[in-house]
Amino acid sequence: MTEATATDPAVPLLAVDNLRVSFRTARGTVRAVDGVSFRLGHREILGIVGESGSGKSVSLMAMMGLINDPNAVIEGSIKFQGRELIGLGAREMRRLRGGRIAMIFQDPMTALTPVYTVGRQIVEQLRLHTDLSTGAARNRAVELLEAVGIPGPKDVIDRYPHQLSGGMRQRVVIAMALSCNPALMLADEPTTALDVTVQAAILDLVRKLRKDFGSSVILVTHNMGVVAEIADKVAVMYAGRIVEHADTPTMFRTPWHPYTWGLLDSIPPISGARPRRLSSIQGAPPSLQRLPPGCSFAPRCQYRSRRCAVKPPMIGEPDHRVACVLEPGERREIVRKPAQQNDEIPS
Amino acid sequence: MNMLTGATGRVLLEARSVSKRFNVGSRIVPALRKTVHAVDGVSLQVVRGETLGIVGESGCGKSTLGRCLVRLHEVSEGEIIFEGRDITRLSRRALRPIRRKIQMVFQDPAASLNPRHRVRDVVAEPLIIHEFGTHSEIDARVVELLRVVGLSADHLERFPHEFSGGQRQRIGIARAIALEPDLVIADEPVSALDVSVQAQVVNLFQDLQERLGLTYIFIAHDLSVIRQVANRVAVMYLGSVVETGLTEAVFDHPAHPYTQALISAVPVPDPDRAHRGRRILLKGDVPNPAAPPSGCRFHPRCSYAQATCRDVRPALTRIGPHREVACHFPLV
Amino acid sequence: MSLGFTIVKRLAHMVFVMFGISVLVFLIFFATPGADPAARIAGRNASPQTVALIRKEFGLDKPLPVQYLRMMDRLVIRRDLTSYVNLGEKVVPTIFRAAPVTLSLVFGAAVIWIVFSILVGVLAAAFKDRTLDRLLMILSLIGISIPVFWLGEVVNLVSQGLLHNTWLFSWVPPLGYVPLHRDPALWFKSLVLPWFTLALAFIGIYGRVLRANIVEAMQEDYIRLARAKGLPEAQVLIRHALRCSMIAIFTLFGLDFGALVGGGALLTEVVFGLPGVGYLTYQALTNLDLPMIMATVTYASFFVVSANAMVDILYSVFDPRVRND
Ligand SMILES: Nc1ncnc2c1ncn2[C@@H]1O[C@H](COP(=O)(O)OP(=O)(O)OP(=O)(O)O)[C@@H](O)[C@H]1O
Ligand SMILES: Nc1ncnc2c1ncn2[C@@H]1O[C@H](COP(=O)(O)OP(=O)(O)OP(=O)(O)O)[C@@H](O)[C@H]1O
Ligand code: SF4
Ligand code: SF4
Ligand SMILES: [Mg+2]
Ligand SMILES: [Mg+2]
Repeated sequence: MTEATATDPAVPLLAVDNLRVSFRTARGTVRAVDGVSFRLGHREILGIVGESGSGKSVSLMAMMGLINDPNAVIEGSIKFQGRELIGLGAREMRRLRGGRIAMIFQDPMTALTPVYTVGRQIVEQLRLHTDLSTGAARNRAVELLEAVGIPGPKDVIDRYPHQLSGGMRQRVVIAMALSCNPALMLADEPTTALDVTVQAAILDLVRKLRKDFGSSVILVTHNMGVVAEIADKVAVMYAGRIVEHADTPTMFRTPWHPYTWGLLDSIPPISGARPRRLSSIQGAPPSLQRLPPGCSFAPRCQYRSRRCAVKPPMIGEPDHRVACVLEPGERREIVRKPAQQNDEIPS
Repeated sequence: MNMLTGATGRVLLEARSVSKRFNVGSRIVPALRKTVHAVDGVSLQVVRGETLGIVGESGCGKSTLGRCLVRLHEVSEGEIIFEGRDITRLSRRALRPIRRKIQMVFQDPAASLNPRHRVRDVVAEPLIIHEFGTHSEIDARVVELLRVVGLSADHLERFPHEFSGGQRQRIGIARAIALEPDLVIADEPVSALDVSVQAQVVNLFQDLQERLGLTYIFIAHDLSVIRQVANRVAVMYLGSVVETGLTEAVFDHPAHPYTQALISAVPVPDPDRAHRGRRILLKGDVPNPAAPPSGCRFHPRCSYAQATCRDVRPALTRIGPHREVACHFPLV
Repeated sequence: MSLGFTIVKRLAHMVFVMFGISVLVFLIFFATPGADPAARIAGRNASPQTVALIRKEFGLDKPLPVQYLRMMDRLVIRRDLTSYVNLGEKVVPTIFRAAPVTLSLVFGAAVIWIVFSILVGVLAAAFKDRTLDRLLMILSLIGISIPVFWLGEVVNLVSQGLLHNTWLFSWVPPLGYVPLHRDPALWFKSLVLPWFTLALAFIGIYGRVLRANIVEAMQEDYIRLARAKGLPEAQVLIRHALRCSMIAIFTLFGLDFGALVGGGALLTEVVFGLPGVGYLTYQALTNLDLPMIMATVTYASFFVVSANAMVDILYSVFDPRVRND
């Protein structure tokens, strides 16, 4: 399991093209993912940020083949190491899952089976993808727990999930995902439940995973600090689409999309004066059953014009693409200005 | 930030040497049994109208403390005083009117929402339990609450699994504020939200505070959020409070070495500002709460540690107005 | 809380409940105003001498607590309480003779219903909303709605009468009970049909409950993680979903098992001519045999209560979440 797979550098590790996921519900079709395309290179860390409910988790879930909802319709293409995953047989998909592709889920509190000790759950995965004996797998599980910074791993391994704090559970899940040295790791808000020192340690672990095993990582997070710290590239999602995609310094220095501007403005400052109120984006995200015909951000956008009534295509340069009609001259120059006093929460 | 704290203001909630222990390990062989001191002698005061932020390592007992304060856990030792009344050992029935005044928003939005209840029922539940009013009054209130937290009446008939993580958290907040409680204990209420919604919810918490005079205990890992919402912070390490103080003071001049390390590890949303050099790496392992280190609990990882630290446990001592620290060699 | 402590606590609780039940039953029979307990114990058409004798024997002229203690002494400690309806029959040994019959019947049926209901529940959940699921659910609904008495009669009619001489049922022994130690094979043969008859309705109920629980568990986050590990679907279902769903079934099982051992299998016992506790109760009730009723009720409550205690203890072994705090 440990050797890196022979890979053709010309083929990206992951190529997603026009991925669409919709759910048929009693109240109409929910377009959770609405045409997502991107490439992920070898050893690359892609950060995905965006509105809650913009389809980040659903996209990752689609890549894992884990959308089981009978009302879900998945279209488009997801190529992993040149191999199409959509429509792949259950058996082959299973072999990839947990082995070549691993996933860390968003909600650590409920992610573990309540009736088994965490050790047993890690061992289960190791035994599935490696030839380790139960004893050896157990030792490896202790090592993994240690690697993710769990205190007293020999104790914790025999505990049940409810006996661990949220952060500890999350680290158990991370340990599981790391256990088979995946080529691609999908991490859905892996550090949200963790304190900043452990978060820093986990990010180090992700870097190490890339360094030692050449893994690529997709990291969904709400924490812009984490993105700035670890991601090579950033994709910003809004209402089921990637609205901006750039390498990290560019995204923070010269973002092009008004939604990205709003996001960056909303970050509470960690030093300097505390604003009386945080700035945030006007209005609420659109209902995914009734997306506006043109740019889905239009109802909340201060810069909208008649041009925005048709869906803006992805434009820009190869390493900085944006789905917005604003011309280069119309884009905002400096983003990180002090937060202003606007707010829209009715009270 | 509308008010100062400490000696001014009336104390709403007070924890006096609260401890909570859990037994883990084998139930049959006593030799394999261990005790986890999840919360270990915490004393805190929360003044009416303030926001007390609680930060600390994952697993240091923040949630457990929060749950003890609302009596979701029975404390092992100590007292909890709410509005001057000891509620530590009140019976369930006697506690009922107090439950209404103390609400909790949970760390984990998914598990605290019943998957078979529609959003309408989830938010209406406390209103019904505490007999808020007629059916139509409750309905109107539910719609209003959803609007307040940034959801719409469209969402009323949906089930929790049809929402994103952030949307679920807003449902939890709507439920908690439904009865306009005095004290809200929010356990990582915004960690599932994107920064823009997070800003809205943080503003919402502040609005509600100004409007209703709410008091918050706000547990969060995101220090920039704590910095924004809290008047005062308490830093916990391994079940105990190691530092308290006004937010600015603690962030600008941390007194406890652990606080300093914590603040240095905050990731900065700016790829240009080099972060590596800034961060104080904590050496050693996160300690095991079932077998805590002797003396100062932080000594195996503290770069300022001296011989006394290994043997003598520093008590939480006042080092200035509104400022307490548990360290033999405080940094300020 | 250690397991030992849980057990002690449960046992104390059990003793307390049984005491309550015995007092209640005693009061119903001995302190109902307007009825003379002595006459009732004596049975129909008893001579005045017998009634007087009974009054003396049971101390019915003494205060109620004394009467109660005397009764308990004879029931539990000396165990020489005798029936006046079947003159001279000692009721406690009679119950001890009947108990193995009931236990054999209920244990066997329980094994069958647990195995089959797991099978039904898992298959139905695995094929949710498909033909097999629908078929199983309809079958279990039928199983639940067939009255056990009627089913027993039909089974008897077919196996003892209509088809007894065909290869299919020629092995079925005549109605009645054969003790295990006398002839294990015959014991087994004589109980097979009663077992299935008794188990059928429970298979239906448990199968349906289990299916619902598994289907719900399959929506949980931990199932998603189990799948993300690369576990085959069958293992996800059995190791994770089924295991968590069994907890609810367990509680149900304790209640049903206790009730059946305590006499709830009465109809099955009567139909198949098995002289078990249910049968005994049935007879005692038809004859108004008061000492016997007292004894069977006490015995039944003992089983219901101890089955519950057992379930509670096992429950904490099964579900780690209830163990501490
Ligand atoms: N099974 C489902 N049926 C109907 N709608 C669904 C279903 N699963 C997800 N959705 C919808 O799809 C949208 C995208 O959800 P997703 O969980 O991917 O959001 P997200 O970007 O991960 O948000 P967050 O940051 O809050 O986790 C949401 O609006 C959600 O309501
Ligand atoms: N029911 C329980 N049984 C045994 N131990 C427990 C239980 N609940 C919590 N603990 C332990 O108590 C300690 C504190 O847990 P708690 O959930 O309060 O941490 P926390 O500070 O909220 O962490 P996080 O930030 O990760 O949520 C942990 O070591 C945990 O393992
Ligand atoms: S396309 Fe128009 S509405 Fe959409 S973000 Fe750009 S300017 Fe705003
Ligand atoms: S008491 Fe000593 S070991 Fe503890 S924090 Fe202070 S200096 Fe460090
Ligand atoms: Mg998500
Ligand atoms: Mg917590």
